[in-house]
Amino acid sequence: MSDVKSLEYPTLKVPYELLNKKFRLAQKVIDREASYVQTAANELMKDNKTSVPAGEMSILLGGVVEKLQTLKRKAQESIAEELQAGMVCKRRLEHLKEHANTAPSVVNQWRRQRLDRMLIEYFLRKGYYTTATKLADSSELRDLTNIDVFMVSREVETSLANHETARCVGWCHDNRSKLRKLGSTMEFNLRVQEFIELVRQDRRLDAVKHARKCFTNYDHYQLQEIQCCMGQLAFPANTSLSPYKDLLDEKRWDRLIEQFRHENYRLFQLASQSVFTVALQAGLSALKTPQCYSANKEGRNPNCPVCNEALNELAVPLPFAHCSQSRLVCSISGKPLNEYNQPMMMPNGYVYGEQALEKMAQENNGTVICPKTKEVFPYKKIEKVYVM
Amino acid sequence: MEACNVVEREVDKILLKFGVVNEHAETVLQDLINHIESLKKEFAEAPANHELTPGQVQILKEAMKKVCETVHRLTTEHRELHGSVSKVGKAIDRNFTADFASTSREDVFSGPEKSHLLNQVICQHFYRHGMLDIAAELAVEAGIKTDEGTKEPFTELNYILDCLKQRNLEPALDWAKKHREALLAQNSSLEFKLHRLHFIRLIQQGPSKQTEAITYARQNLTQYVGRHGKEVQALMGTLLYLPNGIQSSPYSHLLDPTLWLDIHDVFTREACTLFGLSVDSPLSVWYVFPINAGCTALPTLLNIKQVMQQRQVNTVWNGKDELPIEIDLGKDGRYHSVFACPILRQQSTENNPPMKLVCGHVISRDALNKLTNANNKLKCPYCPVEQNPEDARLIYF
Repeated sequence: MSDVKSLEYPTLKVPYELLNKKFRLAQKVIDREASYVQTAANELMKDNKTSVPAGEMSILLGGVVEKLQTLKRKAQESIAEELQAGMVCKRRLEHLKEHANTAPSVVNQWRRQRLDRMLIEYFLRKGYYTTATKLADSSELRDLTNIDVFMVSREVETSLANHETARCVGWCHDNRSKLRKLGSTMEFNLRVQEFIELVRQDRRLDAVKHARKCFTNYDHYQLQEIQCCMGQLAFPANTSLSPYKDLLDEKRWDRLIEQFRHENYRLFQLASQSVFTVALQAGLSALKTPQCYSANKEGRNPNCPVCNEALNELAVPLPFAHCSQSRLVCSISGKPLNEYNQPMMMPNGYVYGEQALEKMAQENNGTVICPKTKEVFPYKKIEKVYVM
Repeated sequence: MEACNVVEREVDKILLKFGVVNEHAETVLQDLINHIESLKKEFAEAPANHELTPGQVQILKEAMKKVCETVHRLTTEHRELHGSVSKVGKAIDRNFTADFASTSREDVFSGPEKSHLLNQVICQHFYRHGMLDIAAELAVEAGIKTDEGTKEPFTELNYILDCLKQRNLEPALDWAKKHREALLAQNSSLEFKLHRLHFIRLIQQGPSKQTEAITYARQNLTQYVGRHGKEVQALMGTLLYLPNGIQSSPYSHLLDPTLWLDIHDVFTREACTLFGLSVDSPLSVWYVFPINAGCTALPTLLNIKQVMQQRQVNTVWNGKDELPIEIDLGKDGRYHSVFACPILRQQSTENNPPMKLVCGHVISRDALNKLTNANNKLKCPYCPVEQNPEDARLIYF
C-alpha cells in the first residue's frame, strides 16, 4: 500500500461527492424543465381543435419555443457545472500523480504541499477558518483542499452559534436524501430547538402550532422525545425539573453545532480524525524510542521530533517503535554506524563513530573530547566495539 | 500511482460523456427550436382567423410528438450517466483507504490541553519557516500566547539568511559578533568564515581594492591566526596573484560560489545549536513534524492491521507498548541509537543496558548473566574468548 493510497481518500472522495450532488441537481433541473416543455406540448395537442385560429396557435407555439429555450439554457448551465466538478477531481488526481516523480526537488515540493494540505484540513476541522484560508492562499492550494466545503459549514455553524436555525434547516433540505440514508436526526433536533425557543419566549400557542406542523412527520422512534417536548408546555421556562431543564439548556445549541459537524463529515465520508493527526501519530510512533524519554537529558537529540518538548508530551500515550535489529547512529555526526563508520568506545564507555572521532583528533592535536561528559582522552585510547 | 490511474480513467470517461451529452443536447434542442420557430412563423403569416387545415393539424401533432420524445430522450440520456458517475466513487472506494484512521487513537490529540500543545508546535513551525502572518493568525484563532522570545530568533535568523542569499554579509557578521563567546564555546568558525568571504569579495574586485583588502585583513583576520593559520595564509597568498586575476591562480578554489551556499548552512547550523534548536528541521529544511515518517509508516500499519483482523489476532494490537512491526524510515529516521541485544532480540533498556565484552562484542546485561556458567566464566557467543563476566563494561550509545 502506498502512502497516496492510504492517505488521500478524502482528497478525492469529497470532490466526488460534490460531483455526485451536482449530477443529481442537474438531473432534477433538466427533468423539471423537460416536464414544462412536455406539458406545454401536450396542452397544444389537446387544445388542437380545428377551431383554434392560426394567429393564436402561433402564440401557443411561441410558448413552447420559450420553454425549449429555457430547457436548453438550464441544461447547458447544469452540465457546465458538472464538468467543472469533474475537473476538480481530475486536477487533484493530476496532483497526486506527481507523487510518482522521483526528482528530489519535485518530491520535496510535493511533500511540502502535502503538509500544507494536511494543516489546512486540520485548521478547518478545528474551526480556524481564517488561518486555513490564509495558508491555502499563500501556498496556492485552494483547489487541492476541501476548503469550500468547510466554508459552507462555517456559515451554518456561525448561524447556529447565533441561535438561528434557518441556515441549518436549509442545509438539511439541500442534502435531504443523503441525510435520510444516513439516518440523521439533524433536522428533527433543529425542529425541537425551534419548539424550545418558542416555549422559552412563552409563545406556547405558537409552539403547539409549530409542533403540529413539524413533529407529525417523524417516526415512532422519536416519539419519546416528542412527548418530552410536549410535556415541556406544562412547565414554566425557568423550571428546575429534569428533563425539561436540560431541554432549555443553552448548551443544546453547542450540541447542535457538534452534531452538524459530525453529520457534515459523514455526508462527505470524512473520517472523524484529520489526516494530519493520523499521520502525526504514526510518525511519532515510528520514531519514538525509550531514549526520547530517558531521565538524563543527554539521551535526547534536538533533531529528533519526539524529543521536541511539546511533541514529547503529546507522544506519551503512543506506542514505541519496534526494533529487533540494532540501529546505531553517531551522535556527533548523525551518520549511521556500520562497517564504513565503525562504532568506537571512549574509555568512559560512550560510543561514537570512527569518522567523527578521527576528525576531532585531527583538529585537536590527537585528543578527543566526549561531547556528553566533556572528558578529554588521547585518540589512542579509543577502542573498537562489535555490534552484531 | 496505479490507484490514481484507475480513478482517473473513470473521471476521464465521465468528463467525456458529459461533453457528449452537452453537445448533443445543444444541437438537438436547437434543431427543435428552429423547427417550431418555422412552424410558428408559418402560422403567424397566415391570416389571424385562418382555421388550420387537417394537413397542418397533422404536422403540428407530429411536431409536438417530436418535442415530447426528444425532451424525454434527453432526460434519459442524462440520467444514464449516473452509472458512470457512481463508478468514479466506487473506484475511489476500491483503490483508496477510507478508514485510514483505524490505527490511530482519537484521544491522543483531543482535549483542550493537548490540542493547545499541538497548536503551539504548528505555530512554531510557521515561525521557523518565516510564514509570520500565518503564525500570527493561528495564534489569534487558537488562542496561543506567543511570547516574543520564541518568535524573535526566527524572525531575526530568517532575515539574516535572506540577506546571506543576497550576498549581504553585514547582518550575519553583526549577529556573529554579538554571540562571539557562545559561538567560540561551541568551537564554531562561523565568524572567521564570514570574514573570509568578505575578504574574498574585496579581492575579487581586482587591484583597485588591494589596500582596502589588506586593511580589512589586518583589522579582522589577525585574531584567527591561531586557529585558522593555514587558511589565513592562503587568503593572504591571493594578494600575490591580484594583478593577473585569481581565476588562473592556485587560489582559484576560493572563488567557488559554493562557499556562499556553505555559509548558509554553516550559519543555520551554528545558530540552531546556539539556541538549542533542531539542526536539521528548522529554517532550512521544511518539516518539524514527523509527517513524512508518518506517511511512510501508515501504509505498513494499515496493512498489518488488516492482516491481523483477517487472522483474528486483534489482541496483539493493543496500541500501547510497541508497534507490532518494524518500520524502515531510511537513514533520515534515525535520531537515536537503538541497541537490540543480538542474543535476546530485545531492545536494551536502562535496567538491561548494553555491555561490552573484553573481546569487543556487545550483548545486553541479561544475556551476559544468562551466558555466565557456574564457574563464573563466560564464553563470548561470537568468538572463542573466555572471560570473566565482571570484566565486561557498561557502554552508552
